[in-house]
Amino acid sequence: MAGTVLREALVGRASSGDRSPQENAASQEAPLVVLRDVVKTYANGTVAVSDVNLSIREGDFLSFVGPSGCGKSTLFRIIAGLGRQSEGTVDVFGGDPERSRKQGGVSYVFQDATLMPWANVLDNVTLPLKLAGESRRDRIARAEEALALVGLADYRKALPRQLSGGMRMRVSIARSLISKPRLLLMDEPFGALDEMTRQTLQDELLKIRERDPRLTVLFVTHNVFEAVYLSSRVAVMSVRPGRITEEIAIDVPYPRGEDFRTTPVFSELVRRVGRGLAH
Amino acid sequence: MTDRSAAAAAGEHGERSDGRTREARGPAGRRGDSARKHEAGAGFFVRLTSRWGAGALPPLGALVVVIALWQFGLKLLGTPSYLFPKPTDVVRAASDNFPLLLQSVWTTAYESLLGFLLSIVFGVALAIVLATSRMIEKSVYPYAIVLQTIPIVAIAPIIVIWFGAGLNAVVVIAFLIGFFPMLSNTLIGLHSTDQNLRNLFYLYNAGKWQTMWRLRIPAALPYMAGGLKISASLSVVGSIVGEYVAGIGGGKGGLGFAITQAAIRVQTDYLFACGLSASLLGIAFFLAVQGLSRWMLSSWHESAMRIEN
Repeated sequence: MAGTVLREALVGRASSGDRSPQENAASQEAPLVVLRDVVKTYANGTVAVSDVNLSIREGDFLSFVGPSGCGKSTLFRIIAGLGRQSEGTVDVFGGDPERSRKQGGVSYVFQDATLMPWANVLDNVTLPLKLAGESRRDRIARAEEALALVGLADYRKALPRQLSGGMRMRVSIARSLISKPRLLLMDEPFGALDEMTRQTLQDELLKIRERDPRLTVLFVTHNVFEAVYLSSRVAVMSVRPGRITEEIAIDVPYPRGEDFRTTPVFSELVRRVGRGLAH
Repeated sequence: MTDRSAAAAAGEHGERSDGRTREARGPAGRRGDSARKHEAGAGFFVRLTSRWGAGALPPLGALVVVIALWQFGLKLLGTPSYLFPKPTDVVRAASDNFPLLLQSVWTTAYESLLGFLLSIVFGVALAIVLATSRMIEKSVYPYAIVLQTIPIVAIAPIIVIWFGAGLNAVVVIAFLIGFFPMLSNTLIGLHSTDQNLRNLFYLYNAGKWQTMWRLRIPAALPYMAGGLKISASLSVVGSIVGEYVAGIGGGKGGLGFAITQAAIRVQTDYLFACGLSASLLGIAFFLAVQGLSRWMLSSWHESAMRIEN
């Protein structure tokens, strides 16, 4: 059953011709997320996304790039189970997104750090575990691990307003990692940060993924450089209606570092994605 | 320690490690503004105020002027004390009847506090119930508004019939008058939770009560603080109104009772003393609640923070 879904997904995308050797190897496994002919029409008649076909495998880092209003976030909300598609099917972990979400294993990071202003860093980070009813000892142990991962081990008692924008985003990322997700959905997480902080956090995100290469990341951004730097695949979207017009594989092995930004391959890929956007 | 280092890292060097710098600076900025406005001629006054508390001197000065005008104006006109007592008459009346006045203030304070606490408990509880279900809110809230528009004085006699003259009726009236601001403010607060945070709680599969307890109620605290301030002053008004209709006589009468008695006996000076005590009581309630809400919110909410620009 999953096999046929996968084959269809592959056939559907074969025309783009961007299949990497890694991807072919990974495609033996059942994909983590599958979208087929997804259409989302809002009550006022606006078609936010249409004809979206996607298959996301474990360990993928897939970025959605596109102009504002191309339905990146809509698509994202559908995968997160925050909204339903009007047509088509969406499978997350082989089931309904809503159901998969309830079983855990999916985490979220938004553009806004979305922290509770009255709670300190530790309480903010442990929120998903608290809501899941985990014991206090477990929560604290895992929070310390997650905070160390984002370099905030010394800030457990700080309140959000005492932190800079970049630090708040780290707290938000630590919170998303604490539940040990299989799928991480990031909706323009670095969009509101300055360029320096943004690049630092990009590197940290790559480091986090190195520690856990099976972590699958879906990443929304309108920044082409960011998409190329981080992703294993980039889905280029067009506006009105939002469609995926092109999928570009970023065949550069991880770990990637600062020097990747200055390679000709990087520039070439940025150009390709940019061209895709211009259509 | 972590707190401090966090602040330092966030780029707030100095100010946080020494609370006094902050405190001293906030008002100084404002004074700088007023200094610029009144540059000519006001130099002495500005220098004087800058040594005292922030804006305390101008209102104090105005008070002194008003009291002086009141005292000497009445003396000049020769108005009899039973028509319009001078400040000195009021002070004398207050000190002559001090134990009685204190007893009245105490009674009213007690009634107001009980009414106030009841309005907090019931106001917040009903707001939480209404906020959990749109259906319940739609069906019940309109009546809460209708109830609010009924003048409390109009239903006070019914309350006296139901609860009997005395403490109970007064407390119920104080409660009724403070209840609605508490309810409506809390309800607005519970409905104004940040949408991103609500989505986050939803995505992490938070239950209805988890969301209520961990997100909506904490987020509503600033609104509740607003409601508390209104209800605190209103509950004093409520208990005095209650005492007019249902006051307990004898030595246990509250300020409302004392006021009616003083009016009947044309003890205008004591009437003034009671009225001023009532407003002082209202101010004390207000300040206590303000202090409480500052303490509750100071660490995170804008309304209670000292903002430096």
